[in-house]
Amino acid sequence: MALECLIGIKFDDFVLIATDMSHIQSIMVQKSDDDKIHKLSSHLVMAVAGEAGDTTQFAEYIAKNIQLYKMRNGYELHPSSAVHFTRHTLSTHLRSREPYFVNLLMGGYNPAINKSELYYMDYLAASVPVNYYAFGYGGMFTLSIMDQDYHSNMTREAGYELLKKCIGEVKRRFIINLPKFRVRIISKEGISDMPTIIAEGEAA
Amino acid sequence: MEGMDEITDKKDNTSNPFQLYMPLLPKSECQVGEFLVDENGRKLRLNFAHGTTTLGFKFKGGVIMAVDSRATSGQYIGSQNVKKIIEINPYLLGTMAGGAADCTYWERVLARECRLYELRNRERISVAAASKLLANMVYQYKGYGLSMGVMISGWDKKGPGLYYVDSDGNRMAGNVFSVGSGSINAYGVMDTGYSWDLTDTQARELGRKAIYHATHRDAYSGGIVRVYQITKEGWTKISEEDSKNLHYQYEEEKKKKKPTTTSS
Amino acid sequence: MSILHYNGGCVVAMKGKNCVAVATDLRFGVQGQTIATDFERVFELGPHLYIGLPGLATDTQTVYQRLQFRIKMYEMREGRKLKPQTLMAMVQNLLYERRFGPYFVEPVIAGLNATTKEPYICALDLIGCATEPADFVVSGTCSESLYGMCETTWREDMEPDDLFECISQSLVNAFDRDALSGWGAVVHVIEHDKVTTRYLKCRQD
Repeated sequence: MALECLIGIKFDDFVLIATDMSHIQSIMVQKSDDDKIHKLSSHLVMAVAGEAGDTTQFAEYIAKNIQLYKMRNGYELHPSSAVHFTRHTLSTHLRSREPYFVNLLMGGYNPAINKSELYYMDYLAASVPVNYYAFGYGGMFTLSIMDQDYHSNMTREAGYELLKKCIGEVKRRFIINLPKFRVRIISKEGISDMPTIIAEGEAA
Repeated sequence: MEGMDEITDKKDNTSNPFQLYMPLLPKSECQVGEFLVDENGRKLRLNFAHGTTTLGFKFKGGVIMAVDSRATSGQYIGSQNVKKIIEINPYLLGTMAGGAADCTYWERVLARECRLYELRNRERISVAAASKLLANMVYQYKGYGLSMGVMISGWDKKGPGLYYVDSDGNRMAGNVFSVGSGSINAYGVMDTGYSWDLTDTQARELGRKAIYHATHRDAYSGGIVRVYQITKEGWTKISEEDSKNLHYQYEEEKKKKKPTTTSS
Repeated sequence: MSILHYNGGCVVAMKGKNCVAVATDLRFGVQGQTIATDFERVFELGPHLYIGLPGLATDTQTVYQRLQFRIKMYEMREGRKLKPQTLMAMVQNLLYERRFGPYFVEPVIAGLNATTKEPYICALDLIGCATEPADFVVSGTCSESLYGMCETTWREDMEPDDLFECISQSLVNAFDRDALSGWGAVVHVIEHDKVTTRYLKCRQD
């Protein structure tokens, strides 16, 4: 799980989520167009990394329950409520015989109060609102770059460039080959794809 | 002085620094760092200053070396003012990461060897040769639990020199290195800001900033950010600033630089 | 490393003259990596009642949420606010329920009795054994350093301002010797007519 890379950055009126597209099994790349970003509702996504199987099972369980809530009540859960539900589910399973082994970033936009939101959640179900975070060993290389360059009021273009800079560093220093990153943006208009980032960079 | 032999212990390391007492155990069982166990039977780490951030890079103006100053044993902060750059001689610097005692001892021995070289050959030792001396010295003790990851830098006939040497036996020349628990963070800043053509001011600031960001993210790095530069005149100490002051200074600068455009 | 030290963080509470203070750092990390510097682990549970939950962050959140639920049920059933001593018993019950698979938090309670205005502090271990000393309680990753600081700085019958100074200096100087806590601090001084919350400027390394 530490080989995968999830990056999330929250800006004033949108959230960017980037995840690597490699599905790694032992020493092999099984799939190079994997989608680790799961749509939970019209304005909320969850990027998941972790134990194979747990990731999709958990993401789908959360997604279906959030959709069920909408059907029952006629309105969607706000991002913070959905995060609460996710944390509750994960923490309940943590003290069971089969805990889910998943790390996740939840990025959303709350249209009711015009606010973008990003949450860190690890497999122990500690959930913290953050401006930006990156999971995995690859992600660790990017945190100081974001510490240095992040501004909450960056434009979409500037945010995308920041992601490219981070992914370049992953390519440069991380031993595992993660050549492509899927990028999604969550804003007032909902969820949409941005061009895939092909990593560029070489160790100095 | 015949009598002296009787009162000096011929086996000690005062006259020969390589004369160390070796353990009476087979090599495979004598990792000093894993020698002791605590009351729960867990291995005790003896290494002081395990968490560290150090970096060095070459550029057109010479070499920049920057380090933090925190020493931890476990989660306890033993000191916030360690000198992790060792001034071997006016033209050579060494950094410290790993076991503090290992680094200080062997870099002191290296300083002695470098001086002896000067006296014997009437010229200064090259960075390549100095780093090789150190690499060979520590390689002799491979498997006995030495723990060090150091950078040796300096200026010689060939110009600026930068080498990485560790207790596993690695020795390599390079343009950009960072060593220690905070290196992962330092690399992020250093790689994205690095270019051979940096000015002196830019290069010093890059080193300082990379170390600061590492102290912020890495719990085991912190204290004072020290920056040195090496030119053909030898090394100079550029700055020693408390990471706390740097944090609030950078925060102010960032506020001023904040872009005013917002996305549509 | 113990699981109690996985995320870092510490809490201290002190008694003063007709007042109590509780303070905590703001770091949330995973071992050596600092992730957030605005993670509050001291929560308001009533007008004069605070609880600090240092330890494993997931359990800080779980215990706080379950405690909130139990307190709300109590207040609805009883039609009154709960006393600090009652909260302590409630926390004991909540923690001992998991005697054989504990929540990895070591809570600290600080408050004033709503009727008598009597200061109250206590600390519990992770399965609910409580201590109620007359001076101060500490908990978290730098508890040893905190003991040292508190032992030397604490005096009897401190006024709110002195208490604030005392608890702040104790906390900041203790966690400056600890790699896993710090990155900011928050102090609540609880008096019978007001609670003063202050954020301290701290080292960020």
